Amino acid sequence: MSVSIGQSLFLIFFGAAAVWFGVVVFRTHSMVRSAIALLFSQTAVGAMFLVMQAEFLGVLQIMMMASEMSVMAIFMVMFMMDPGGLGAMDMTHQKRLSLWAGGIGLTFALAVIWLTGWGPAAQAAPAAAEQTAALGRELLGRSMFVFESAGLTILTAMVAATMVAIAPTEEHGR
Amino acid sequence: MSIELAIALSVGAGLFGVGLYGALSQTNLVMILMGVELILAAALVNLVAFWRYLHPDVMAGQMFVLIVMTVMAVEMAVGFGIAIVRFRSRGSVEMEEARELKG
Repeated sequence: MSVSIGQSLFLIFFGAAAVWFGVVVFRTHSMVRSAIALLFSQTAVGAMFLVMQAEFLGVLQIMMMASEMSVMAIFMVMFMMDPGGLGAMDMTHQKRLSLWAGGIGLTFALAVIWLTGWGPAAQAAPAAAEQTAALGRELLGRSMFVFESAGLTILTAMVAATMVAIAPTEEHGR
Repeated sequence: MSIELAIALSVGAGLFGVGLYGALSQTNLVMILMGVELILAAALVNLVAFWRYLHPDVMAGQMFVLIVMTVMAVEMAVGFGIAIVRFRSRGSVEMEEARELKG
């Protein structure tokens, strides 16, 4: 069993932050606080990527989630009846079932993780510049079809989301 | 076995458990989307951990992370599109009231 103390400590720290802020998302009544807690949780996930020496993905995750959660916070304020949480509305249902499902999923996953032999761990990751270059070659080489499909999927989703969201007019009907 | 791999995967399991609870227990569409985001974040952590500690020389692992990030963005865009049309027609995005999907 190989152990790198510094990496383990940082993984535990940022991992605990990610899970804790994930819990806060569903514990606070204020929707804006929920969105900000989710932003912190995703940022902690990005920091975990940095600890695991995936620099490009870590920075990408933090930048992407910062913009995504800002948009989400705006939507929260627009769509919620009580965005500030001052009325302490209960917006949950089937709580017991959800707790059981989450708990069973967590326990099962932990059992698999700690009871499985994962084989020997790789000691070192390639350097950051080397990784980015290799990822670029992967994207525009072997995985080009998958990469282009992802781009097309985003384009389709953008058009679909815009078409769904456009207000129906009288002559076009619904 | 690497202890760092087990820690990262355990964090992924934690995020998955919390996200599953949120996606199932919330009645508001935007909050359900937040739960799904947490579940996808768990998948991301697992993928990066597998890449780093098992196969750091194979870049298909990082490629897979980019695909899951795409899925996150698409899920948000389509989810908010549905939220807008739902809010316009019903004045709320409470899913308890959504008995059918006629818009």
